[in-house]
Amino acid sequence: MKALLATVISLGLTTVVIGNAYYQKKQFYPSIVYLTNSNPSMAVMYLQAFILVLLVGKLLRKIFFGQLRPAEFEHLIERSWYAITETCLAFTVFRDDFNPKFIALFTLLLFLKAFHWLAEDRVDYMERSPVIGLLFHVRILTLLMLLAHADFYFIHHAYQFTAVKGPSVQLVFGFEYSILIIMIVNILIKYVLHAIDSRWEAPWESKAAVLLYTELAINFLKVLLYIGFVAVMVRIYTLPLFAFRPMYETMRSFKKAYNDVVLSRRAIRNMNTLYPDATPAELAAADNECIICREEMHTGAKKLPCNHIFHAACLRLWFQRQQTCPTCRLNVLRAPAPEAAGAPGPAPPAPPLVGLPPHVAPAPPPPGPVPPPFPNMPPPPPMMAWGMPPPPPLRARRLLPTSPPRSCSAWRAMSAGTLKPGYKYSIQYLPCLSLQLLREIQAMLDASVLLMQQYSTVVANLPQNNVTVSTQTETRIEELIKESPISTTQGKSEPDVVPTTSSYKQPSPVPSTSKTIVTEDTSPMQPDTTTPVDTNRDKTDVDAADELRRRRLQKFALDK
Amino acid sequence: MAGSALRRLMAEYKQLTINPPEGIIAGPINEENFFEWEALITGPEGTCFEGGIFPAKLHFPPDYPLSPPKMEFTCEMFHPNIYADGRVCISILHAPGDDPMGYESSAERWSPVQSVEKILLSVVSMLAEPNDESGANVDAAKMWREDREQFNKIAEKIVRKTLSLD
Repeated sequence: MKALLATVISLGLTTVVIGNAYYQKKQFYPSIVYLTNSNPSMAVMYLQAFILVLLVGKLLRKIFFGQLRPAEFEHLIERSWYAITETCLAFTVFRDDFNPKFIALFTLLLFLKAFHWLAEDRVDYMERSPVIGLLFHVRILTLLMLLAHADFYFIHHAYQFTAVKGPSVQLVFGFEYSILIIMIVNILIKYVLHAIDSRWEAPWESKAAVLLYTELAINFLKVLLYIGFVAVMVRIYTLPLFAFRPMYETMRSFKKAYNDVVLSRRAIRNMNTLYPDATPAELAAADNECIICREEMHTGAKKLPCNHIFHAACLRLWFQRQQTCPTCRLNVLRAPAPEAAGAPGPAPPAPPLVGLPPHVAPAPPPPGPVPPPFPNMPPPPPMMAWGMPPPPPLRARRLLPTSPPRSCSAWRAMSAGTLKPGYKYSIQYLPCLSLQLLREIQAMLDASVLLMQQYSTVVANLPQNNVTVSTQTETRIEELIKESPISTTQGKSEPDVVPTTSSYKQPSPVPSTSKTIVTEDTSPMQPDTTTPVDTNRDKTDVDAADELRRRRLQKFALDK
Repeated sequence: MAGSALRRLMAEYKQLTINPPEGIIAGPINEENFFEWEALITGPEGTCFEGGIFPAKLHFPPDYPLSPPKMEFTCEMFHPNIYADGRVCISILHAPGDDPMGYESSAERWSPVQSVEKILLSVVSMLAEPNDESGANVDAAKMWREDREQFNKIAEKIVRKTLSLD
């Protein structure tokens, strides 16, 4: 309605202006001169031309696209505003060439650009629309042909013009149309891929990969073009401000495409090389169903570091989009390989201390290598007595990827079991997230406590270097048993937990039920209760502890 | 096209028929095309939508479950997280890449472990507890926050409409 009104008004104004000119000058040529010399008349003429362009645009849109979807329309409007602003910026650089022809060329450029954008949106939509008729193919192909021809023509024109008359505003046009022709190539590739995909009965697994690489190549070309253009413009004119926003966006999307390619390649390579194939026992434990395709897994199943099992083919497709575990969203690229996490064996038994469960009492470390960290060990106190520094950051890193995802899945399993409409709909992952965060913080705290303790032991042990490492450990543990009831109770609960957490090494025949997971859930939390006690004691009275230790040592020697 | 998507949709349909969750019915509109579903959702008890039976449509992409389906109510709806044209705006229906409202972390987005059942259950709890921070329908969000009585009245009207009582 508004558009119709504007058209009618503009048409009326134009008639009035032309009629007036003709009425005053009576002849064709003088009236043209009169029109071009009068600013108000020219304004009316410009308005009329603008509305004509819009009308032609609408007509072409009807022919090639039919009705626009709301999303397409919004997209078009948004991009148009950016383009218009940038065109105005471009005018400032070429203000000396400012004339009607110049404006007409820029309008034409904008006009063609709009159709490129629409074609791109339409082809992207192909993937999601259920039925694609013959009309769609005819429309898109004709449009792409026409646009490609127009682009070629203008590039050619710009090249000729620049070659003959030297650099001018045609540089900008040549460059803009080159960008557009790259866009056409991109659209065409996407179109062909989607068209092939819709013809095939079977899912086309490599389509996503091809799309990824196409995007990378196209963005690379664009970045090259932009850099070249800016360089040329800086040499000949001045800084082309109007090209900066699109250049920045192209670079960003190039970077993103590059990252996507690299990350998905890495994730897929990790999957192929590092992650173990799931064994039949593990498959049975996981209901034998791949949660991506909801089909049974017999062969070709892979186990992620978080112990979730999927079809390798399903995982590959998902990794091309995201490099996370579909179930617990563990970032597979940041997680260490399962071999590394599973490598340290269970604690070797400590012969002199029979009364203690083996996991609480670590053996005296061998003199050479760094003692392996145990996932379950109540961490700081026994380690503190070791002569050499155990690697705290390593411990922290290993604790993280093994435990949190499992507890997430536990949470999920529980929530799935008791799913009632009342539960919060969009925050179902939040508990996992916050748990994971808490764990990370806790692991860091653990590490710092460990360091602190090592420091204090080193300081405390300075005067008596003759004491051997092993006796130190034993006394320290003895002291521990006497002093803190927590660690002994913890020792008792230990065997429950062991099978699930160390299941990297020994695939547990029993599926991890919610009960075991719950017990495991609490185990990483235990250091929270034990460590503060130790830190406080160690920080406050290092000297007293030192004295105590010395006395105990003496007593120990006497007992023997 | 997309054999694995089709097989998964069939599996989910079977699961939903054998073991339907309370208050939810869902299935393909016709069994020729498994990528278009319709669903009936009953309004959660104890909320202003109680008693209503809301019809909705689900459109699945060819690469489902790697990409999320789209859902829209086909009846009139007035709710902060439902657009005026019926489209449902909740985070588990958004792929991790795009963020229409700019507030969701990728942890609550779509992932292949989600399913039709989980989506519909999420929508039921969305009906019970609107998230008025992401205004798909700004008027509804505002009214939910400021004039709950009026909101309840409108909801009741919609409920009566879905039951063809008006």
